[in-house]
Amino acid sequence: MRKTVLELNGVTFTYPGAEQPVLRDVSLQLKQGDFTAVIGSNGSGKSTLCKCFNGLIPHYYTGDFSGEVIVSGQSAEGRTVAELSRTMGYVYQDFENQLVRPTVIDDVSFTPLNYGFADYKERGERALELTGLSEVRDEFVWQLSGGQKHLLALAGSLAMDPEVLVIDEPVAQLDPQHAREIYEILRRLNVEHGKTIVVIEHHAEFIADYCQNVILMDNGSIRWQKPVREALSSVSELLELGIYPPDVTRAAWMLNPNPLSVQEQYPMNPEEGRSYFISQHRAVEDNNCSMFKDKLCLVEESAEQKKEAVVQMEGVGLSYRTIHRTLHPVLKDVQLELKRGESIALIGNNGAGKSSLMKLIAGIAKPSGGTVHVKGTLINGLPAERLSGIASYVFQNPEEMFIEDCVRKEIAYYLKARKVPDMDERVENMLQSFRLGELAERDARLLSGGQQRRVSLAIGAAVRPAVMLLDEPTANLDISTKQELVKVLETLRSHVETVVIATHDMQLVAEWASRIIVMHQGQIIADGSKEDIFADEQLLRRAGLAQTQLMELSRVLGLPRICCTLEDFIVSAELQKEEVTHHGSC
Amino acid sequence: MEAVKRALNRISVEQIKLELLGNAYNSSSTFLGRLDPRTLLVWYIFFAIVPWFVYNRTVLLGMFAIMVVTTILSRVSPYILFILCLGLISQVGWLFLLSLFFGGGIESLLPMLTLTLKLSVISLASITVFSSLDPERLSDGLSSLGVPDVFAFSLSYGYRILPTLLEEFHQILLSFRLRGQRPLRHGLIYWRTATYYLRIIVLVFYPLMLNTAKRSRTTIEALETRGFTYGLNNPKVKKLKLAYLKMKISDWCFLSGSTVYIALLFWFGNQYPNLLY
Repeated sequence: MRKTVLELNGVTFTYPGAEQPVLRDVSLQLKQGDFTAVIGSNGSGKSTLCKCFNGLIPHYYTGDFSGEVIVSGQSAEGRTVAELSRTMGYVYQDFENQLVRPTVIDDVSFTPLNYGFADYKERGERALELTGLSEVRDEFVWQLSGGQKHLLALAGSLAMDPEVLVIDEPVAQLDPQHAREIYEILRRLNVEHGKTIVVIEHHAEFIADYCQNVILMDNGSIRWQKPVREALSSVSELLELGIYPPDVTRAAWMLNPNPLSVQEQYPMNPEEGRSYFISQHRAVEDNNCSMFKDKLCLVEESAEQKKEAVVQMEGVGLSYRTIHRTLHPVLKDVQLELKRGESIALIGNNGAGKSSLMKLIAGIAKPSGGTVHVKGTLINGLPAERLSGIASYVFQNPEEMFIEDCVRKEIAYYLKARKVPDMDERVENMLQSFRLGELAERDARLLSGGQQRRVSLAIGAAVRPAVMLLDEPTANLDISTKQELVKVLETLRSHVETVVIATHDMQLVAEWASRIIVMHQGQIIADGSKEDIFADEQLLRRAGLAQTQLMELSRVLGLPRICCTLEDFIVSAELQKEEVTHHGSC
Repeated sequence: MEAVKRALNRISVEQIKLELLGNAYNSSSTFLGRLDPRTLLVWYIFFAIVPWFVYNRTVLLGMFAIMVVTTILSRVSPYILFILCLGLISQVGWLFLLSLFFGGGIESLLPMLTLTLKLSVISLASITVFSSLDPERLSDGLSSLGVPDVFAFSLSYGYRILPTLLEEFHQILLSFRLRGQRPLRHGLIYWRTATYYLRIIVLVFYPLMLNTAKRSRTTIEALETRGFTYGLNNPKVKKLKLAYLKMKISDWCFLSGSTVYIALLFWFGNQYPNLLY
């Protein structure tokens, strides 16, 4: 029998001033060595739940608290946050604010130092080794990439050698390969070092691949706590709550939505999917569809060539100066032409130069070589104010775009500065298009993540630019908010000529993009249609990307083409099925 | 005008950030940078206070000379020296204009020179010490001299967060610029453009403060979970943290050298109080 490391009994908590409790009568048990995911829609109380574990609630947030928390067999009552944190590491969603020391080694040994361990340096070194950060031990924190900072926050908790690790959204801002690396590290900590791990996670593929148990939160209470397969197989229940199980699971469910018996559950990853679908539909054969598809592509391409070019970049290079007064090249000799009406996805691993490329188009950065033309205007070195009507850039962090005190004024700022005659009308139109009518008088900083994102898009669209550039628009959004964003992106099409999105989110790319540009180490290594790019597995791996589950599944099933959306897949699968039965009947 | 424009072009937020951080953290390579922080702080306290009470111009000149030497030794960034000179010159110029207005003449420059000399000694001492001490060692030095730990920590944290703040400042400034409209004409000696920029620079601080306030909630929580308050109430932790501070021979040499020099200087100054003017 494994030891119970954490137990909650009938915990109810209300934030001071709030009417409704955020946690209602929550009871749960975590055993040593568990790897548990907490899921639930935004505002269901996931983070609040995790803050009970180390006593932040009720010690730090003093609201109405009742119930009992038992940590390692002892009641948490009367023990301080600092005391409870000795055995419990917590990595925040906004982990950057958790790093309080200037250098990596200082930060990682900060916690053991505070607890007075004489070997604090050694503990820090060990934690760096576990997370693979030993090489950057003497770097300054602000020189690290986002992924490294996240690992550092994790290392900072590991240095205490805690029994339980709580991680709020471990992979929100990472490219698919780095995300997998983080999870591999977590798995190693779990399996080899026996740590109990709790993650708050939106990405069901990761839950499927790495977690053992799932806790579903709904409106402040725990609906259930189940083993992962059973949990993810409750597709219709999860979808109702706006949680999306892995694509493979959903595909299987869509093809066979009847409740399954306990022994027979839906597949969770492409490998399982293969045996599942094959057993369901017997063998699937290749057919000649691909030739037909090739012809289709050709037609599209010739139509494309006639379109007017919006952005032209020739031999563009860009370098940054570092603190050591050396030049660091981020873009090398980039040639690029973007046409009117294209939906362009810019993909590549962290640090490939995606943001830099967009900043050049937006005129925020000045190229160190080459020329950038937008709509025929040479924009190297033009002041930002002169450009904004041509290109508008939506920052990764919407908060950095908020310069006024309510949504309406945010959207109007640009129009007002230029004294556009039909200003009020345009603002109203934007508020309608982006469904911000009810939020118009609220401070944008206080909105939820998804709402903030909509405001930032409306701000960009109000400019009516020729090119709109979005930096990671889906980072930190839960999946249902993301689905909503895809719809908002459709709205954008009617306001803007060309949209460029830099993203790690392959699902977004698959559903939205018409053209994909792959970047790697400051250069464009591929440029083409979805079908071309996604079929090239090697290319994706080189660029730090991964195929989505559906693409992988369509590959292992040998479908005639790579499916990008679930509907696509279902149609293909149905077609195949019909064909198989057809063959059978002949 | 072109030259000013070019100079202004070179000053970017990015540039200032690099300069500031480079100056703050790239100091362990110099002789002064390798000294114990306590040595430098004690040395600084003397040169920051004493010049105010000294009116002997020979002594002040001698102090100025040693400051020039230490400034060179600590390889201060030329930007900072430039700003210092600008400050000193404008200070004197301003006072001189004022004295002309009240019927003074060239002779009023001399007493002002004494004041300037004092100010230079103190400023150069500050520059020397603070560019030789990175924020970490400064904070540890202060803490070992008995300054409250919370203050010492916030000093080092302030520097840690500086690049983040500057980055955000830059982004918000860009938001203002991307969505704002610069005056179409520059106006006489660029006054329209200058006012426009000064205005948005001030405006940037409001969103910056609001965002920072929002973010600091996590930081404070994280400090709690990382045992910061636990460490504060535990004298053992302080000892552990400061264990690396050691007075070396070079520290003693530096301190005794400075003492001997100052002693000789005072003796010499008493002999020839009017060496200069």
